Amino acid sequence: MSEFLNVVIERFPEVVTRTGEHFILTGLSTLIATLLGIPLGILAYRTQRLRHLLVAIVNLFQTIPSLAMLAILLVLLGKIGIAPALIALVLYALLPIVRNTITGLNEISADINEAGKGIGMTDGQLLWRVQLPLALPVIIAGIRTAAVVCVGIATLSAFIGAGGLGQFINRGLATYNTNLVLLGAIPAAMLALVVDGCLSLAERAVEPTPFTERHKLRYRLKPAFAILPVILFVSGMLLVLIGGVGNDVSSSSSDEEITVGCKNFTEQLILGELMAQLIETHTELSVERRFNLGGTMICHNALVRGEIDVYCEYTGTALTAILKESAITDPEAAYERVARMYKKQYDLIWLKPFGFNNTYTITVRQLDAKKHNWNTISDLIPDARKLHAGFTSEFMEREDGYRGLKQVYSLAFGEISDLEASLMYKALAQSQVDVICGFATDGRIPAYNLLPLEDDKAFFPPYYAAPVVRQEILERYPEIESILARIVGRLDDVTMQQLNYKVDQGHMDIRSVARDFLRGPK
Amino acid sequence: MMVKLEHVYKSFDQGKSFAVQDISLEVREGETVVLLGKSGCGKTTTLKMINRLIEPTKGLIEVDGRDVRTRNPVMLRRSIGYVFQGIGLFPHLTVEKNIRTSLSLLGWSKSRQKQRVQQLLDLVELAPDEYADRLPRELSGGQQQRVGVARALAGSPKYLLMDEPFGALDAITRDVLQQQLLKIQKKLGVTVVFVTHDIFEALNVASYIAVLNEGRIEQIGTKEEIVSEPKTDFVREIFAKPTGQLRRYKSLL
Repeated sequence: MSEFLNVVIERFPEVVTRTGEHFILTGLSTLIATLLGIPLGILAYRTQRLRHLLVAIVNLFQTIPSLAMLAILLVLLGKIGIAPALIALVLYALLPIVRNTITGLNEISADINEAGKGIGMTDGQLLWRVQLPLALPVIIAGIRTAAVVCVGIATLSAFIGAGGLGQFINRGLATYNTNLVLLGAIPAAMLALVVDGCLSLAERAVEPTPFTERHKLRYRLKPAFAILPVILFVSGMLLVLIGGVGNDVSSSSSDEEITVGCKNFTEQLILGELMAQLIETHTELSVERRFNLGGTMICHNALVRGEIDVYCEYTGTALTAILKESAITDPEAAYERVARMYKKQYDLIWLKPFGFNNTYTITVRQLDAKKHNWNTISDLIPDARKLHAGFTSEFMEREDGYRGLKQVYSLAFGEISDLEASLMYKALAQSQVDVICGFATDGRIPAYNLLPLEDDKAFFPPYYAAPVVRQEILERYPEIESILARIVGRLDDVTMQQLNYKVDQGHMDIRSVARDFLRGPK
Repeated sequence: MMVKLEHVYKSFDQGKSFAVQDISLEVREGETVVLLGKSGCGKTTTLKMINRLIEPTKGLIEVDGRDVRTRNPVMLRRSIGYVFQGIGLFPHLTVEKNIRTSLSLLGWSKSRQKQRVQQLLDLVELAPDEYADRLPRELSGGQQQRVGVARALAGSPKYLLMDEPFGALDAITRDVLQQQLLKIQKKLGVTVVFVTHDIFEALNVASYIAVLNEGRIEQIGTKEEIVSEPKTDFVREIFAKPTGQLRRYKSLL
C-alpha cells in the first residue's frame, strides 16, 4: 500500500495530465455524440421509416468490440492518435443518446402534442417549447450512460497512442506492475463516478418539481445542478490547460525531431527507451516517444505513414505477420529476406539486429531438467506422455507453434491446458504444469529458475530484434545507423532476460534501467 | 360572423367509408352549439375540421365568412380557443406559464401577458396568488380544466371549440364547471362549439343541439325542439333512456 502511495506521489503530475487527457477524450466525444445524437433522435422520431434503420445502425456500432473498432478506424483513417479514438468513442456514445431521445419524445402523451398543435404551435415551437423540455430528463439519462461508457472505453484508446489513463493501465499490464494499473484504473473509476453523479443531478434538476418551503434550497439550486455537467466540462478543460497535455499526444513533429515507437510489452518498452536515449545522447535531435502502441500492425502502419520514424521489430514477426510469408528457419536468410522486402515494398530499412533471439522456447523447471537430464526438446520425447503442458492459445494454433512442433519432434504431451501468457511462467514455477512455451528473453525465466530447452531440430523460426527505420529519416540523419549499432552484440538472450526482469519483477523504472545499461561496461 | 359547415365529408380510408357525412351546420355569434352523440359518431372529427387539425375530404367550412382552407392553419388555430378532452396542460410549465404560452404565440409583450393571466385566473375563479406558480400535477382535475379554459380564452378569441372538456371529471365538478362556462360565455359573448356524449350536459349548456349518428346529423334544433319533437327513432331513443332513469330515480324519492 505504501508502495502504491509512493508511486502516486512520484507520478502525480503525470496522473493529472493523463486524467485531463482522459477527460478531454470522454468529454469531447460525449459532446459531439450529443450534438449529433439529439438531432438524429428527433429525425428518427419524426420519420417512422427512418427510425428502424437509424436504430439498427447505431446498434450495430455498439456490437463491435471496442478494440476491434479502434483497429478498424486505424485502418480506415490511417492514423494513430486522438482522431480514431474520438470517432470510436462518438460511435459508442451515439446509441444511448439517440435511443433515449426517441424514447423521451415517444413517451409524451398524445394529448399534450395535440394541445400544443391545437393552440397554434408550429412543429418547431412544439418541439422546442414542449417536446424537448419534456424529453430532457430521459435524454440526459442517455447522455449519462454515454459518458460513463466513454470513460471506460477511453482507457483502450491508449493502445493507439491517444493518451489518457489507459496509458498507465497498458504499461502496468505490459510490465506486470499492479501499482501502475491501479494508477490508471482508480482515477478512471473516480472520473466515471463524478461524471455519473453530475449528470444524475442534472437529470433530476430538469425534471419539473413543485416548489415547497421544505425543499426551498434544493429548488433554488436547480438551475445550478442543471448546468453542473457544463461546469465539469469547463473545469476539466482548465485542468488540462494547467497540467499541460502530454507531449506524446501531440502529433506535430518538427524537422529536428525523431519519433520512436514501440509495442505494448516490457521488452519493446525497454528497446524503445534504449533507442530513444541513444539518439538523445549522441545527436542534437530531440526525441518524441510514442510508446505502447497496441500491436504489430499498429506500429507497422504508423511507421509506413511516417507517424513514427523507428521502432524495433522481430524477423520472424515481420515475415509472418507483415509480409505474410512462411517462416524461415535460418536466421540470416530470414533477416536478409525481411530487409530486402521491407526496402522494396515500404522504403523501410532494417538496421543490424541487436543480438538476442526472442523466439518461442520449450521451457521446463531447472530441477526437473537436472533430474531427468533434459537439455534439448528431443530429450523430452520419452517422458512426454507423463507431462502436463501449458501453452498460450496462440501457440496452440500457430503453424510455427504446437501444430508443427508435434510433427517435427513427434511429441505428444499427456495433457495440455490453454494458459494466458502472463500466468504461464508462474504456473510452471508452482508445478501446476511441467512444460510451457516461454519466450526466450522473458525475465521470469531466470527469476523462477526455469530452463529453455535447446531447439535441436531448429524448428522455431528466429525472432531476432532489429530497429526498422524509415529510409527518408536515415538519409537525412545517416548517423542514426551507427548510433543504434552501439549496443549491437551487447544484448544477448540472457542480458535481455535480465533487463526484462528488472522491469517486470524488480518494478524498476524503464528509463533508469535503460540508462544504467547504456552506462555499463562495453 | 359565424362558423359555417356546408356538406362536409370526411373519410379516413380514401372514400371506402365516411366518419363524417354531409354535415351542414351554422353557429351564430354568441351561441353554443352542442354536437351530441355516442363515441365514434364523428362529433370530434367535425370539431377538429373547424380549426384544421383534420382536413375535410369534401365540403366547405367557413369561419368569419372565410373558407378555412385559405387560412394558414397555425394562425387559424391561434385565433380560435380550444379546450381538450385530455386537458393537455404542459406538465413542465406552471399554471401561469401554461396560459402565457398561448399569449406568447400571439406575440403579446411580457407585461401584458402577466396582467392577462391575473384576469383569466380571476375569471375561472382560481386565486392567482395561490395557483399561478403551481404545476398542473398539483391541481385537481377540475382545477386543471379551469386552467385549460383560461388558456383557451387567453387571447380573447371569438370562437371556442370544446372537445368533451368535462368528460373526465366527476359529476359535481362537471356541473360546477358547466355553470361557470355559462357565466363566462354570458360575460364575454364568445361563440362555442361543444362536443359531448352527455345528454344532461348538452341540455345544460346548449343554445342548439345537433344530434349525430354514424357521421350524419339526425336532427338539429333548440333543446326544446329536440326533446319535445324528436324527428327520428334514434333521437327519441337517446332521450328516452335518461327519461327512464329519471323516472326510476324520482320513484325512490
